[in-house]
Amino acid sequence: MKAFCPVCGGEVELPEDVMPGELLECQSCGATLEVYEQESAFKLREAEEIGEDWGE
Amino acid sequence: MLLVKAGGRALLNVSEIARDLAAYSPFVLVHGGGDQVTSYSLKMGVTPRIVISPSGVKSRYTDARELEVYIMVMAGKLNKEIVSKLLDRGVKAAGISGLDGPTLIAERKRKIVVVEKGRRRVVPGGYTGRIVAVDTSLIRALLSGGFSVVLAPVARGTQGEALNVDGDQAAYQLALALKPEKLVILSDVDGVEVDGSPMRGMSWLEAAELAKAVGPGMNRKLLMASKAAEAGVEVVIASGLKESPVTRALGGEGTRVKP
Repeated sequence: MKAFCPVCGGEVELPEDVMPGELLECQSCGATLEVYEQESAFKLREAEEIGEDWGE
Repeated sequence: MLLVKAGGRALLNVSEIARDLAAYSPFVLVHGGGDQVTSYSLKMGVTPRIVISPSGVKSRYTDARELEVYIMVMAGKLNKEIVSKLLDRGVKAAGISGLDGPTLIAERKRKIVVVEKGRRRVVPGGYTGRIVAVDTSLIRALLSGGFSVVLAPVARGTQGEALNVDGDQAAYQLALALKPEKLVILSDVDGVEVDGSPMRGMSWLEAAELAKAVGPGMNRKLLMASKAAEAGVEVVIASGLKESPVTRALGGEGTRVKP
């Protein structure tokens, strides 16, 4: 299963059991990408930076 | 004025911490208690969902039901147990949460990154928040009336919701706002260790560097200690499980992060 990097347009291989929200790295440009589901297809968008300052 | 943070594991020694703290009143004590919330969640039939951050920190996932238990335990049972122990020692003490006032204002985290099947995944943030503002007027009013303040890490969200916030982060934000003489962070370890050797003291710049190298949990403590020290507040990270833990920390035990 493949999707396209929204940053460089390169092909990104998705794991067989890919999960919505999964973070992947584009092997071509190094961008961190978030998997999302749209019309029963998995697509990629650039991931935003998220800190680890959770609660207790 | 002394600001102290006692983590949930240090609170296993709450009677001794209260006995020792009595000599420093009025003070502000921020408490944790994540393990206690998990224990009560199970007793109340709310199975906690444990998630792991990319740096390896295990946390409870705070959904709406878990938040109810969180507030009951943090701002209720645990907070009042600590207040009772201080009252037993003759300390005029008042227990509040960051929601009261409000004292701690936080922005709800829309998303968090967790590790599932060994892979990183973005999930909705639940009811956890990042503190964005502190209003010390309630704390100052209590202190000026001679009351020591025991604060639970619950914040008011910018949309009016109650939020679970990290106790270390609450202590750091209060340190910036209150400018105490010192911030003492009591945990279940003797301070910061590097390759098995305890670190006695370091500058805030060294602490920021070291935060990148130490294990999960302590890394966030060090980063916040570094920021508090950068703002002029000396921080001591020490064990809360010993006899007279606060006096020992102020007397040179543990790890000091200097301004």
